[in-house]
Amino acid sequence: MRVTEEELVKAARRKDLTVRWVSRILGYIVVLGTWEWASGRVLEENLLPGPTRVVQTAIELFNKGKIFSAFEATLTRIVLGVAVAFLVGAALGILTQNRWFAGFFKDAITIGLTSPGLIWVLITALVFGNRWYGPLSAIVLTTFALVTVNVAEGIGTLPKDTIDMAKAFKVGVVRRNRHIVIPHLAPFLFTGFRFSFSIGWKVTVLTEIFTASSGIGFEMRIAQILFRQDEVLTWILLFFVFALFFEKVVLQAIENRFFRWRKEIAST
Amino acid sequence: MADIKISNLHKEFGVGDDKVVALENVNLEISGHVFVSIVGPSGCGKSTLLNILSGIETPTSGSLTITQAGAQAAPGYVFQAARLLPWRTVMDNLLFVQADKSSETRARCQKYLDMVQLGDMINIIRTSCQVVCSSASDWRARWRPMLIFMDEPFSHLDAITARSLRRELHSMWAATKKTIVFVTHDVGEAVELSNRILVFAQGGILKDDINVELDFPRDPSDEAVAVAKANVLKKFEELDLLAT
Ligand SMILES: Nc1ncnc2c1ncn2[C@@H]1O[C@H](COP(=O)(O)OP(=O)(O)O)[C@@H](O)[C@H]1O
Ligand SMILES: [Mg+2]
Repeated sequence: MRVTEEELVKAARRKDLTVRWVSRILGYIVVLGTWEWASGRVLEENLLPGPTRVVQTAIELFNKGKIFSAFEATLTRIVLGVAVAFLVGAALGILTQNRWFAGFFKDAITIGLTSPGLIWVLITALVFGNRWYGPLSAIVLTTFALVTVNVAEGIGTLPKDTIDMAKAFKVGVVRRNRHIVIPHLAPFLFTGFRFSFSIGWKVTVLTEIFTASSGIGFEMRIAQILFRQDEVLTWILLFFVFALFFEKVVLQAIENRFFRWRKEIAST
Repeated sequence: MADIKISNLHKEFGVGDDKVVALENVNLEISGHVFVSIVGPSGCGKSTLLNILSGIETPTSGSLTITQAGAQAAPGYVFQAARLLPWRTVMDNLLFVQADKSSETRARCQKYLDMVQLGDMINIIRTSCQVVCSSASDWRARWRPMLIFMDEPFSHLDAITARSLRRELHSMWAATKKTIVFVTHDVGEAVELSNRILVFAQGGILKDDINVELDFPRDPSDEAVAVAKANVLKKFEELDLLAT
């Protein structure tokens, strides 16, 4: 029986998939296994509760409705913060096309890019205490510059050639923006959003640890004060799960749906 | 058919030490069902002239009018380098510049894609746009306009493909009443296709305006065509354009 090329490719792809998933699952098994083993042996059980214990706690917290309310509070802050950071950042990105504004904001943007979120968390905690706009301004200050830089780069690389082509063919300004400018800017906006979300997420939890009276960070701090190590670990684990879900499922889906053409070009 | 009238057209880029004169006081009239080639060394302003004619660039001074049956013309333009939207399919790239997107337009696009042997690529998404650029230049199905500018459309192609596309281009021009302004650096190609050859020299100076009075179709291996080509080359020598 002859094996066609197509079958060979399929077999190779199957093997690839198998390796990828088996190695990934092995990673989980080893880490969780070591953890379970170490709990009560390397460290006392109340210092390092094992994964089964943590899952139990997670179920209890879920049944009390705590997980939902904490995530709700944190996500609201993130969404608001990222939205404002996005608007501010994009506006600055547009403004800095002008040389005067570019000079005016240049160092502020560099500082925005380089200073760690912790600085803004401390400052906003001092200034605003536990008022709702404290965390919000911390997120905005930490992430706006990422959006600015991306938007500015997107505008700076607008395909003049293609826009000229459209002009030569008398394509109107609305269609030019809709079909050339926006699709060109979309990946830059997406990258800005992605960065600002992933950083905003960490900053939010950090502000909650310091100032808020709700949210994941707040719950972590309370659990720590009460010396409930299992709860601390539960929150940390949930934090990981959510971050993974958002990165691997939500953002990936958006990317696959809208930016497939970039990958295809990269591969030619 | 369209009428182009250019008077004292002057185009400079940059200022001071960076100043480049791309077109120097060009006076020119093109009208009716003609195929006009523009030849000259690279950097002599050929693309700039087409860009000004198509409205992409504005002249530094001078005036131009382009009319089509008394009204403003809407020319088609095949650019020197492909200008495609990589997020669109090949077919959607073609339709982008078409005002009417009916099935009749689609069929027309398909016809020209077939002509450049890209017909079966229209459904392959995005990547294929890049393939279009590399395999068939920016030769696109933009054939409704009665005035067409083409900027070295065949210079990226292999000799055989270029030859068959030149034939297609000629028969299309002969069958319609289109005015074509065709930039090339290949004198043979110019002689084969045009009624009229405009010779530009470095600095954007229009040096010569040659009428080619030979019957179509012109086979490059035909003696009369070879002689005409030799004559044009001789003029080039006289104008000192082949030096450097
Ligand atoms: N946008 C531009 N900015 C500055 N110089 C330009 C620009 N476009 C063309 N030029 C210059 O004008 C001259 C003519 O260019 P071009 O029309 O592209 O020549 P050709 O198409 O005949 O090779 C060249 O010296 C080129 O460097
Ligand atoms: Mg050119």
